[in-house]
Amino acid sequence: MLGKRTLWQNCLLALTLGVVLFFCLFPFIQILSTSLKHQFDWGNPSLIPIKLNLKAYQELLGLGKGAEVPIPETVKRLLDNPLLTKEAKEKILSRYRSTRDVFPFPRFFLNTFLLSVTAAGLSLLLAVFGAYAFSRLRFKGRSVIRRSILFVYMVGGVLLMVPLYQMSVKVGLAGTVWGSLFSLVLIYIIQTLPVSLYMLGNYFRTIPFALEEAAATDGCSRIQALFLIILPLSVPMLITVFVYCFMIAWNEFLFAFVFLKQYHDFHTLPLALQSLFVSKNAIWDRIMAASMLTLSPVILCFVFIMRNLTRGLTEGGVKE
Amino acid sequence: MASLKLKNIHKRFGSVEVLHDINLEIKEGEFVVLVGPSGCGKSTTLRLIAGLEDITEGEVIINHNVVNLLEPQHRNIAMVFQNYALYPHKNVRENIIFGLKMAKVSRDIMDARLEKVAKMLELQDFLDRKPAQLSGGQRQRVAMGRAIVRDADVFLFDEPLSNLDAKLRHQMRSEIKRIHRAVQTTTLYVTHDQVEAMTMGDRIVVMKEGVIEQQGTPMEIYLKPSNTFVATFIGSPSMNLMDAKLFPEHVEIEGQRIHFKEKIQRPDFLLPKEGLPIKLGIRPDFFLDENFASRGGSLAKINYAKIDLIEPLGFDKELDVQVGTQSLKVRLDLRTTAKEGDTINLCFDMERAHFFDIKTDKNLFIHPPIRPQA
Ligand SMILES: Nc1ncnc2c1ncn2[C@@H]1O[C@H](COP(=O)(O)OP(=O)(O)OP(=O)(O)O)[C@@H](O)[C@H]1O
Ligand SMILES: [Mg+2]
Repeated sequence: MLGKRTLWQNCLLALTLGVVLFFCLFPFIQILSTSLKHQFDWGNPSLIPIKLNLKAYQELLGLGKGAEVPIPETVKRLLDNPLLTKEAKEKILSRYRSTRDVFPFPRFFLNTFLLSVTAAGLSLLLAVFGAYAFSRLRFKGRSVIRRSILFVYMVGGVLLMVPLYQMSVKVGLAGTVWGSLFSLVLIYIIQTLPVSLYMLGNYFRTIPFALEEAAATDGCSRIQALFLIILPLSVPMLITVFVYCFMIAWNEFLFAFVFLKQYHDFHTLPLALQSLFVSKNAIWDRIMAASMLTLSPVILCFVFIMRNLTRGLTEGGVKE
Repeated sequence: MASLKLKNIHKRFGSVEVLHDINLEIKEGEFVVLVGPSGCGKSTTLRLIAGLEDITEGEVIINHNVVNLLEPQHRNIAMVFQNYALYPHKNVRENIIFGLKMAKVSRDIMDARLEKVAKMLELQDFLDRKPAQLSGGQRQRVAMGRAIVRDADVFLFDEPLSNLDAKLRHQMRSEIKRIHRAVQTTTLYVTHDQVEAMTMGDRIVVMKEGVIEQQGTPMEIYLKPSNTFVATFIGSPSMNLMDAKLFPEHVEIEGQRIHFKEKIQRPDFLLPKEGLPIKLGIRPDFFLDENFASRGGSLAKINYAKIDLIEPLGFDKELDVQVGTQSLKVRLDLRTTAKEGDTINLCFDMERAHFFDIKTDKNLFIHPPIRPQA
C-alpha cells in the first residue's frame, strides 16, 4: 500500500531518529548530569550521579547557606604544611570560599533578561508597524525596501563588529554604560528585525483585508483597526516573533563581549559563563549548573511557543 | 436617515474603467436594489460609497454633502460584506456591538440595542459563540446585525443572501424587508439574483458592464424594459426575442403576418420605415393557448408553433416550441392538452410585446426612433 512502511524501514527510521536525537540531546544530558555530581564523581562516565549534589544550584541561585565548599582532605593536609606562607595559604583557601560575590548569578540573569526583553519588545513593536506597512500599504519602492532588508544578513556579525564598535565610540555611546547598552539593544533589533518583519508580514497577509474594511465602516481608523482587529488575531505569531528575538539576544555573546567587557556589573550570562569558565571558580558542577540555568529560559520559550502556535485563529471570519 | 446621490461616477483600476458615468439618486428611507451579472461593478459601486475605494471621477453625496474625501470611518455607513467579514476573535455579541463601542455609545443604549437586534435576528442563543462556531446562515445574520444595530445614515448590503439555501434565503428576504420597514434606513442592496431584486426593491437599478441600463420600480422594469439586456436579465425564464420585421399594420415573423395594428399605430409611436427589422420580445408567461384565450381587442396570435418539449411544472407547464426556424419558451396553464410534436396556436396581448431596435437593442416605445427626414 502507498505510504505504508515495512518493518525494516520502520527500524531504520527509528534508528536514524534515535541517533540524531542522541546526538542533539547528549550534550544537554551531560551538562545536567555533571551539574548534579559531586566532585569525586566527575571522572565517572556514568550519566547518573552516584550521589545527588544540588549545592551548585543552591549557590548560584543564592538559596541555602551558600556555604563554603568543603575543603578536601588532601588540600587540608597541604595547608598544614608549615613551610607555606600565609599569603599562599590564603590563595589556596580562597578557591574554596563562598563564591556568591564572585559569581552573582541572579544579577547576570537579570541583566540578560532585561536586555533581551527590551530588545525583543522594541524589535516586535517596530516589526508590527513595518510588517503592516509592507503587507497593506501601497507606496513607491515597497518591494525593493522589503527585500533589501534581508541584506543585513549578507555580512556576517564578526565583520560588522569592529565597524559597529568604532561607530559607537565615535558617536560617544561606547564611553558610558548606558550608551553601550543602548548600542547593544540597537544591534539586537537590527539583527532580528528582518526575520521578524518577514514572519509577521507573511502572517498579516493571511488575515483578510475585508476585516479591516469592516472595521473601517464600523468607525475604526487604520491604527485602531491594527490594534483592535489585526493584532489580537496575530497573537500566536506575535509570541513567536517575540520569543525569537528574545532568544537571539539571550544567547548573543560576540557583541555583548565587545560592548560590555569593561562593565562587569552589566555582563550578560553568556559573558559571565565565559569568564566563569576561565576563572579560579572554574569548578565543573558550578559551570554546568550555570549553563543549565542559562538554558532554562530558552527551553521554556520553546515549550511556550509550541503550546501557543495554534492555527485557525482567523477561521470563520470571511466566506471563501 | 439620509439621501444618497452618485453624480457622474467613473472608476478606473489602472487603465481599466469599470464604472462609466454612474448617476443614481436614492431618497431618504428608500430601498433600492442594484442588480446585474457578475463582474458588472456592483460591489465596486458599494465600496465607492463606503469609501473603501477612491473615486476616479465624480461625486458621492450623502445628505447633500460631498463625501469623496471622507475616510470610511467618518461616513456613518453600515455595510454587510459579500463575504461577511466577521471578526473571528470576537464572539457574536462583541461583533455586533463593536461599531457602537467605537462610536462610544453608552452601555445602557448598547445593551438595549443589542437585545433588540439579537431578538429580531433570532441570535439570542448564539451571543457567546465565535463566528467559526456558526453556520453560514447564522454568520449572515450576525453580519446583518452588526450593520443594523448601528444608527447609520445608509445601509449597504452586498449580496448578503448569496450563500444561503433556498428556504433560508426566502426567510431572510422577508426579514430584511421587515427590518427596513421598522428602521426605515436608506438602503442600497446589491444582488445578482433577479428574484431578490423583484421582491425586495422599492426601486431596481439594472447594471451591466459598469453602465446603468435602467432604473425604475420592479413593475416598470418587468413590463417596460428599456433594452434587450434588461428584458432578458429580469424575468425567469427570460423573455423571448424573435427576429421580425415591422410593417404599418403587422409584424412579420418567419413569413407569418401577425396583426399588430393597434400597437404600431399608437400616436406616440412612429414607424421610421416599412419592413424595419426588429426583435420582437414576448415573455413566456404572457402566452396563452388559443383554445382557452378569450377574444379581446388587443390579442395577437402566432400560428403553427411546433412543440418540441413539454416540461410540467405542477401548476403550469413550460413548452419549448419552434416557429419556423426560431425557438421560443412558452408557459401555459394546465388546461393545454397538446402533446410533444403537435402544433399549437399561441395568443398574446400585443400590449405586452416589445419592439427592440436590432442595432441599438433599445425598446422602440421608450426610445422612439428618430423621425425620418421628409
Ligand atoms: N481591485 C481591483 N483591481 C482591478 N480590477 C478590479 C478590482 N476590483 C474589481 N475589479 C474589476 O472590476 C469589475 C467589477 O467588479 P465588482 O467586484 O464590482 O463586480 P460585482 O458586480 O460585484 O460582481 P459579483 O457579482 O461577482 O460580486 C470586475 O471586472 C473586476 O475584475
Ligand atoms: Mg460583488
